[in-house]
Amino acid sequence: MPSSISSSEAASSEAASSEGAGPDSPETGSADAAASAAAAELALRASAVPLHAPESPLPGPGAGEHFVRPGFVRLTASDRPGVAQPVPVRDIPPQPWRRIFATAMVLTAVLLCGWEAYWRAFGATPGYRNSDGAWAQQRRRIDTGEGDRTVLIGSSRVLFDVQLPVWERLTGERPIQLAIEGTSPVPVLEDLAKDPNFTGRLLVGVAPELFFSGFAYRGDVIPGYHRQTPSQRSGHWLSSHLLEPLFAFYDPDFALDTVVRRQAWPLRPGMPVHRPVRKLMTMQDPDRNTHMWRKVETDPEYRALMRSIWDERFNGPPPPGMDTPAKLQKTIDAQINRAVAAVATLRARGVQVLFVRPPSNGHYYAFEQKVFPRARTWDVLLRRTGAPGIHFEDYPQLQGYEQPEWSHLSAAEATRFTAALVPLVKRQPWTRGNAQPPR
Amino acid sequence: MIFNSLTFIVFFACVLAMHHLPLAWRTKKVNLLVASYLFYAAWNPPFVLLLWVSTVVDWYAAQKLVHAERPAVRRAWMLLSVVANLGMLGYFKYGGFLLANFTTAMAALGVHYQPPSFDIVLPVGISFYTFATMSYTLDVYLRRAKPATSFLDYALFVTFFPHLVAGPIMRPTELVPQFAQPRRATPDMLRFGLALMTLGLFQKVVLADGFLAPVAEQVYDGDKVAGALDAWIATLAFSGQIFCDFAGYSTTAIGVAMCLGFAMPDNFRFPYAAIGFSDFWRRWHITLSAWLRDYLYIPLGGNRHGQARTYMALMATMLLGGLWHGASWTFVVWGGLHGTYLAGERVLRSRFAGYRPGPWTLFALALLTYALVNITWVFFRAHGFGKAWSLLGGMFGAHAAAAPIIPTADLAMTALIVLSLVGAHWWMRNRTLETAIARTPATVVSAGWALMLFAVVITQGSGNAFIYFQF
Repeated sequence: MPSSISSSEAASSEAASSEGAGPDSPETGSADAAASAAAAELALRASAVPLHAPESPLPGPGAGEHFVRPGFVRLTASDRPGVAQPVPVRDIPPQPWRRIFATAMVLTAVLLCGWEAYWRAFGATPGYRNSDGAWAQQRRRIDTGEGDRTVLIGSSRVLFDVQLPVWERLTGERPIQLAIEGTSPVPVLEDLAKDPNFTGRLLVGVAPELFFSGFAYRGDVIPGYHRQTPSQRSGHWLSSHLLEPLFAFYDPDFALDTVVRRQAWPLRPGMPVHRPVRKLMTMQDPDRNTHMWRKVETDPEYRALMRSIWDERFNGPPPPGMDTPAKLQKTIDAQINRAVAAVATLRARGVQVLFVRPPSNGHYYAFEQKVFPRARTWDVLLRRTGAPGIHFEDYPQLQGYEQPEWSHLSAAEATRFTAALVPLVKRQPWTRGNAQPPR
Repeated sequence: MIFNSLTFIVFFACVLAMHHLPLAWRTKKVNLLVASYLFYAAWNPPFVLLLWVSTVVDWYAAQKLVHAERPAVRRAWMLLSVVANLGMLGYFKYGGFLLANFTTAMAALGVHYQPPSFDIVLPVGISFYTFATMSYTLDVYLRRAKPATSFLDYALFVTFFPHLVAGPIMRPTELVPQFAQPRRATPDMLRFGLALMTLGLFQKVVLADGFLAPVAEQVYDGDKVAGALDAWIATLAFSGQIFCDFAGYSTTAIGVAMCLGFAMPDNFRFPYAAIGFSDFWRRWHITLSAWLRDYLYIPLGGNRHGQARTYMALMATMLLGGLWHGASWTFVVWGGLHGTYLAGERVLRSRFAGYRPGPWTLFALALLTYALVNITWVFFRAHGFGKAWSLLGGMFGAHAAAAPIIPTADLAMTALIVLSLVGAHWWMRNRTLETAIARTPATVVSAGWALMLFAVVITQGSGNAFIYFQF
């Protein structure tokens, strides 16, 4: 058994500093230091007052008078150079810990109830978190026997606008939802192209300002899936079973730091207004079936806020890599090149790919028309990939929906949109009966 | 698994429940050992093999060397332990770094060498447990400690999950004796341990991850040039983040161990109140600085072989300490700066040996120390020298026309948190957390605990790993 000094750990600051041995310069060698430390220990024991150590619980009231000494500093490894470290002994402050613990827990519960009530009054309801873990869980289905299914990728429009129950009712198959909000689907396309387990059908949603810019609000999702640890998987399971279905406040948009940051702080001179996008959706099923948050549909003030946030983006300076027409075109070409390569790989494996451009309107549509016009983006994408596509402008049944903040469909409209989209999808050379041969 | 995760809450509840079952002490220790392996395997199960290698090699090396009579044989067993541990660390942590530098050196000589790809995943916490196990063999070799008599106790010392992946780097003499007798937390220990865990998680989840990390990221991970205010605020934010992250881990670990009835040493002692750099290193990552002093600085000669040798040992210790933190030259520069500060302080202390500064001068010296520590954090945080020089230039006015980067909310919150942190460190400079709590009215302790726990829950967190796991 290693030898050790059974230390009381009592020390005055003077004693501690008198040992004076930092990591840089042990002013004594190990033998000297050991002697110095031992002498300090002995001196301290001689003058020591009783401590509340784990083995010797102090009685309650009045114990503090013995415990609290001016200048008390616990000896650490840095105070005992060159000696085998003794067993540390930690103090328990003499306090009525039973009462403190009970009060703290009750107070925490009261605060949490108040916080939950506040967000429910704001319009929030419990729902599943659109977390990396939720995405990984769906992505894993492809690698665990469901690789022949229909998979939906894209950005928030595919996530909000395509309703899985409606799709399932019309086709008999519930697709795997892998769309990621605010993020280009091109990396997901590439990831699936590299995965031989995926042999199904792929619907790729195209939101022009994301797809053709390569912007990735959640760029860590795919790498996160590939390096997901067992602990993260179990954490997602616990969260989606024990917390998410119960608590409305358990949403990133209501996190403390997010709430503090979005208060009306004054703007720094020279800094453009760029408020983060607020909560837009509710994920109501564990397989990431999602629809627009009801507050966006019913609260005019909140809807106006969302529109003003979009406007800030449309009126702000372009991103550094796209601030000239030449750079913008180069970015668009790069994204199309990546998509072309990925689609070729998928189709060589027999995977049929279908591009879908969901509707947008208002300022959002105007911005897309101006910066990412169809002729320079969508048409080129279809021509170069050779994949079929459904653009909302080409189909009257995909137009005229209510889009409260110009970009996404309301919940009811998403149901109607999905019901209109699925028959169009079925007619494409994409479904099993009329699939194109591998190229 | 990490402390700030739902998985850990369930894991810890199970461990705590099993530890309080009426089982034999040996059974409880086996439970803790198995739980510790599960804790580690929750990252990457195959890396448990590395833990076993490290455990078994040092166990046998210590057993053999203590029975060896010839000094050369003792030394050989000690070297086996050192080579095995450092070899493992070198391969996993520094293999890519060495290969990249070799390739660069060859290119400088006109030799084009294309190395094979070196995509090795760094086993989490390897720097910590290799140092812990090496200290066992070295203490036995140096006759500071006797070898453990129970393999179970020794294996539990290496693997004990509260300190396994990010310290405090414990010595065998600190922990192995605690496994000899049955230990179980008293009700007050359990409650105070839970309070410490809450404090540690508050530092990590709320302060480090919630408020400070995003501020540092905006400047250090972006491609915009930072002016003076942005560069300073980002660096101050990182100084707060790394303290709250790492000290938060240590405090949580101490609380976890206390809930099980075990004591772990302090790893931080309010370092941003340090006056001078030797003081700083007595307060910052205490168990690492003590390890480096005991097993590197003193063997290199310490201060007993003349001035030149002292400065050489000092600088070598700090450079290697820097490299311990990460396989990058920026970490070496970070260590080198601290070595230079320590050497400079040593010169000043010998030249002005009779000088006794007054309280305000001491306060000013503490602020100067903190400012200089922040300069070193630039190299620690920046991903390369280009970014580091750009940030330093910004901090000293080179980019006066730079556009603002950090929004007002982040400026205000960073200023508030960092000022509070430094102020708290100054007030606590000669105190312990326990004495401060002992003097505080119970209602205030309850309210503080509840507010911290409430803040932890509503910050929600995203399960970000602790910074020091990568080391």
